[in-house]
Amino acid sequence: MPRALEGLRVLEINATGAASYATKLMADLGADVVKVEEISGDPDRQLGPFPGGKQHSEMSGTFLYLNCNKQGVTLNLHNPAGRDLLDRLLAGADVLVHDYAPPAAAELGLTYERIGPANPRLVMTSITPFGQDGPYRDYKAYDLTTLSAGGWTWLNGWPGITEEPPLKPFGRQSALQAGANAAVATMGAVFGRLRSGRGQHVDVSAQECITSILEFAFELWPYMGVPTVRWGQRPLQPIDMFQCKDGGWIFALCIEEHQWQALVELMETPEWTQWEVSANRFVRASNWDALRPFMEEWVSQWNTDDLYRAAQAKRVPFAPASTLADLLDSNHLKTRGFFVEVAHPEAGVYKYAGAPYKLSQTPWEIRSPAPALGQHNEEVLGPLGADLGALRGAGVV
Amino acid sequence: MPGPLAGIRVADFTWVWAGPTCTLQLAHMGAEVIRMESTRRICALRMLPPWPGGQPNPNASGYFNQYNQGKRGILLDISKPEGVDIAKKIVAMSDVAAENFAGGIINRMGLGYEELRKVKPDIVMISMSGYGQTGPDSGFVSYGPAQVPLAGLSQLTGYIGSPPMHVGMSYGDPNAGLHAAFAVLSALIYRERTGEGQYIDMSQWESTMAVLGDGIMNYTMNGEQPPRMGNRAHDMAPHGVFRCAAGEPPAPGLPENERWISIACGSDEEFQALCGVMERPELADDPRYSTLAVRKANEDALEAAVEKWTLTQEPFDAMRRLQAAGVAAFPPLMNKELAEDPHLNARRFFVEKEHAHPEVGVRMHAGIPWRMSGTPCEVWRAAPVMGQDNDYVYGELLGMSTQQIADLVEREVIR
Repeated sequence: MPRALEGLRVLEINATGAASYATKLMADLGADVVKVEEISGDPDRQLGPFPGGKQHSEMSGTFLYLNCNKQGVTLNLHNPAGRDLLDRLLAGADVLVHDYAPPAAAELGLTYERIGPANPRLVMTSITPFGQDGPYRDYKAYDLTTLSAGGWTWLNGWPGITEEPPLKPFGRQSALQAGANAAVATMGAVFGRLRSGRGQHVDVSAQECITSILEFAFELWPYMGVPTVRWGQRPLQPIDMFQCKDGGWIFALCIEEHQWQALVELMETPEWTQWEVSANRFVRASNWDALRPFMEEWVSQWNTDDLYRAAQAKRVPFAPASTLADLLDSNHLKTRGFFVEVAHPEAGVYKYAGAPYKLSQTPWEIRSPAPALGQHNEEVLGPLGADLGALRGAGVV
Repeated sequence: MPGPLAGIRVADFTWVWAGPTCTLQLAHMGAEVIRMESTRRICALRMLPPWPGGQPNPNASGYFNQYNQGKRGILLDISKPEGVDIAKKIVAMSDVAAENFAGGIINRMGLGYEELRKVKPDIVMISMSGYGQTGPDSGFVSYGPAQVPLAGLSQLTGYIGSPPMHVGMSYGDPNAGLHAAFAVLSALIYRERTGEGQYIDMSQWESTMAVLGDGIMNYTMNGEQPPRMGNRAHDMAPHGVFRCAAGEPPAPGLPENERWISIACGSDEEFQALCGVMERPELADDPRYSTLAVRKANEDALEAAVEKWTLTQEPFDAMRRLQAAGVAAFPPLMNKELAEDPHLNARRFFVEKEHAHPEVGVRMHAGIPWRMSGTPCEVWRAAPVMGQDNDYVYGELLGMSTQQIADLVEREVIR
């Protein structure tokens, strides 16, 4: 099958998962991605999860997931000979994506001031916590602190639990959002280059990526002067999680009033749904503390999947809180072939999360597992005329 | 409309949040996005707050205006055959068509890919339904907030020993929209090289699981459902959000103890620096805390020691001192603090002033989270009020006369 991004030559240097995710999206649609790792390897190789919990740099689940379809080379970018090899790779590349924060990037020569003039057709994308300028440019950050700076952490909590702190979502969502935004902006710049012939620098701020997706929480301030509370504004109800008879959890949701009407029918029109305090979605939200127990009682009589399907049969948008086992067992996801089996020579054969989208002409596909550390040194660096033996001796590769 | 997609036109059938986030990315990069809306079934975001003064007004919702900046908007009732014909004329002049109805609906409306490619053979069309266009549950209805639990994120998120949580916003929506924009751009690049368009079936459920790929490996490798662990991380300690000294709350009306700081130490050196700022140098050498492994083993006590210090601190003052020592620290910002954030403002991230909206006037909106050096991107206009671009699209683009347009209004095709 043809590939959407066939022939697009991408270099990636990853520190936080953001660059890896951006180029994963590209690699899975057919771009030729070369992953440049420092001699010690991408830090994600240490992150796990590991089969049997045993640390092994070729078996980190996070690394394996993020790096399928890529070639891998090692380069000591602290060494001038290593940087020279990177420059030779850049001369043949269309795109460079890296996520080194400005101080570290400057130390390694990963600046557009240095790289851009020599490579006018290159699209260089720099993903950083706070962007390339501004007073916090050089601030130290990890995913948690970037989520806080972007405004997400503040929004998450549980009504009534005020002794607990604002809460981050699972995983490295700041890195993945920055990566997804970087992938979007980079593809825009690549498209522009097809027409203009010119490359450019793309500056992606992870903080801004988060601030851009706070639903209506940000706008509450400029529009109404309303501060967000950290357990999340819920202007309508039901939009709430309840435990079912079998111990599972269901997310009860009615966005539009006709969905509520259908739910009331499913509940067999209990009295509380006819009270004035239940009259519409906004009124229900104002009185939810009083109404919630009625709904909780009704939900507790159902098994999770039965309630999910009964609600959906009436076009009420309920959903279960899936466990990972539920996802792997889902008949719907199996029918769509979402999970893909990937065989890695050292880690073994496991199912991975698969295609986020299905393109009719140029399908998403896994062509190869994540590279071992330095696996493609000969293949990629050899043609550049590099003497790998000597470079290895000098600690460059 | 500046940006690398100048000259690209998008026929936008999307609504609510996921679909509009996709076309927002394209608008940010200079594509001309034409939203087709109807007063017969108004976009859900127009009917949600915030509205200035709290007065419901479909043309004044901040939620809608945030995610529809830089787009054009027309009124068109595509439940009518004549509306479908006009929509096809717009598609015929477009490069991309985008929709996010529940699975199968767009086909029943007569605007599926097979129909659209008849009028525009190289169209790139994307569908962004909750469950995708195939599979036994493809007809299910879904919204972004429900994608958070459905995709497994709720079971993974929460305080230690507490129930599964939502994540504070409808993450499934914007995440789907971003992934969709990436797929559309990749298909446009392919079309530019080969002349071929194509159809993209995106499932919000599946795109949400794409950002949980590392979590899913826990199960496929080890059969493990990772326990909810609050703000903690496997590879760092301390890694948490700590309460600060009571004082002036971040916004009027909030409790005075709602002041927090997030702190993460990724190495022993960073932990030593934290101990220095806390003026507790002995903790750095304490055998309970000297390495990551022992800090993880004694995390309750470690967090208590950190919070004992943060409870004496003003959050931003602590942030500055920790940052000066090389420790990652930042208070969790709420909306007012974001609006006033010196860094975001120095980067001119927010969009306001020159892009006044006909009904809400000058309001601050979150802007574009990237900068391009060669083809600068910019929000050229505020979100459209309903029908704002009727004259431009029906008159200028489709060449209809004033009389023809009036007839369509009369027959309620434009409404």
